[in-house]
Amino acid sequence: MIALDCDDQFATWREQARVLLGHGIDPAEVTWTQGPMDDLLAVPAPLPAGPGPFRARVPAVLLAQLEQAARYCGEQRWSLLYEVLWRVAHGDRTAMLAGDRLGSELQRRIKQVSREAHHLHAFLRFVPLPAPLAEQLQLDLVAFHEPAHDILESASGHFAERLGRQRWLIATSRDGIRYDGQTLDYRHTCPEQWRQWAQHADDPGAELWRTYYRHTFNPARLNPDALRQHMPGRFWRHLPEGELIPRLVGLARQGKQRDGQAQEVRAQGGKRINKGPQQGRGH
Amino acid sequence: MQLIAKLGILADAAKYDASCASSGAPKRSSRGRDGLGATNGMGICHSYTPDGRCVSLLKVLLTNFCLYDCQYCVNRRSSNVPRARFTPEEVVRLTLDFYRRNCISGLFLSSGIIRSADYTMEQLVQVARLLREEHNFRGYIHLKTIPDADPLLIEEAGRLADRLSVNIELPTEEGLQRLAPEKQVRTIRLAMGTIHRGQQAVAGEARAPRFTPAGQSTQMIVGADATDDRTILRNAESLYQGFALKRVYYSAFSPIPDSPSSVPLAAPPLLREHRLYQADFLMRGYGYTAGELLTESSNLALDIDPKLAWALANREVFPLDLNRAEPALLARIPGIGLRSVQRLVALRRERRIRYDDLVQLRCVLDKARPFIVTSDYRPPQGEVRSSLLRARLREPQAPVQMGLWG
Repeated sequence: MIALDCDDQFATWREQARVLLGHGIDPAEVTWTQGPMDDLLAVPAPLPAGPGPFRARVPAVLLAQLEQAARYCGEQRWSLLYEVLWRVAHGDRTAMLAGDRLGSELQRRIKQVSREAHHLHAFLRFVPLPAPLAEQLQLDLVAFHEPAHDILESASGHFAERLGRQRWLIATSRDGIRYDGQTLDYRHTCPEQWRQWAQHADDPGAELWRTYYRHTFNPARLNPDALRQHMPGRFWRHLPEGELIPRLVGLARQGKQRDGQAQEVRAQGGKRINKGPQQGRGH
Repeated sequence: MQLIAKLGILADAAKYDASCASSGAPKRSSRGRDGLGATNGMGICHSYTPDGRCVSLLKVLLTNFCLYDCQYCVNRRSSNVPRARFTPEEVVRLTLDFYRRNCISGLFLSSGIIRSADYTMEQLVQVARLLREEHNFRGYIHLKTIPDADPLLIEEAGRLADRLSVNIELPTEEGLQRLAPEKQVRTIRLAMGTIHRGQQAVAGEARAPRFTPAGQSTQMIVGADATDDRTILRNAESLYQGFALKRVYYSAFSPIPDSPSSVPLAAPPLLREHRLYQADFLMRGYGYTAGELLTESSNLALDIDPKLAWALANREVFPLDLNRAEPALLARIPGIGLRSVQRLVALRRERRIRYDDLVQLRCVLDKARPFIVTSDYRPPQGEVRSSLLRARLREPQAPVQMGLWG
């Protein structure tokens, strides 16, 4: 049994896989450790030397798919990829397709990864830093986010497109990325200081957004299951509106779903408008 | 009035419009440039409220002062609601702040009618102009179009916004006359025509300035009057054909505070709305016509989805051989979606389709099973009658929202 460690980096795995394939090593004969050695029966044998005699040709699209699936954090993260590569290299292209048992798992991982990138784009929240602090840290916006898969590096360019010359930083519990208005600085291990800035930023302005969220909700259409399905609970604690959700659901359930209006609006005095040429111009 | 108080009132006043899409805009980027905002065609839902609806845009009214008296609308002039009005600069400030925070992908701005249709439309255009020209905002902008406004104003709006929408409001002209006496089907359709012509004028011209690149949409309120689904879907179909609309939104009528007796004070018909969206999707994505979907009854079935209903009513088409049938026909099999059809077609180029492949593709086999043939499966002979199948496949009905309704 060959036991390998690729430090969860696709480029490293790819080199290892190329050598293994060249020597015709069967997927059952190799394992990748994830963190501390997790296979007690694996007696580590070294990677064979040299490229090996077998010249495998695989379609370019497979490499792109493997790279995408490699961002998936879970069991058999790297060995599954080698099994797919092995089968396709030996002429069985169904290993890439969703109908196949292995191909289905590959496609499922790809889907989960792209879904998680989408979650980053959707549910990450930046906190604007006050001007003096922004000047001091050379940062306009900070965010803390906890993606389930390794998507930060590949998916963060999106924010450079959105935010123009703004300088921003995203910290996670694993990695981090910073943008100075021109270039991205990705760190496989997030500097502790970045994490501190991101997690402890004061945000008095968040109340505006919470107000919007409360009022755009229509209690007459209460459907918390749909909310949970689209916005998994694990994201709520980093959203300024997250803490409102249980209370809004509770209020709507207590019979407030007679109509769509928020209670705060109902409590205010109303105003009927008389129709006339100069009427109805409010301020 | 404080900005935060206005925001509360004017977001509350805007929530009855169903649309919040931010998709379909052309690729724009602010990377390395002044200003803010990007679009890439994909919409982003930045949050979901407990009603399960997506929050993609800042959806507010510029003002909820309104001269009109549409019975279904919380902001009608006879309604006893608190009123407020943003300045254009305030809307700009909120949009940019929320955008920077990554709470939204853009703005959906509508308004009550103040002074005149033209004046109101000018105000909406002014907000879009400030965002685009003063602040170099490249995010998504959706403007509600006031039907009676000057076509020149609508055209200007179309050059600034990604999407314009004119609400058809009610599915029939009689309904509109009864419930929205100040509105007219004729001017609503004229405004749609103005937008459609603006789009046609730049279609195919790569260098022409963009005109509503994300298309136009409309909204129909469902359940405020007695119109049946057949009329609603026929109307939607004619709007898709006549004005090349991107989307028709169906909004289950939500009871409003201080409700006039002309509209129901009942829970919104959410399941009916859901079935209309399913039927609409079948018309836009699968090539069904409204007439095909409603043959026997004038309303869509609530207990089964419209695709299954069509299959049950057209048993002679089935079972279909997954290894032979045309892709367009495969897409008509209940439980098999467009994506699965693509995957089946890719797979059958490599080898024969087996029953287990559908399991791997996570097709809804309970629905698909009676309608398919694979290399190792065909439905047991002595085919089960449609009525029996329907009884077996109907979805459990949610209890009617009663109890709290005295």
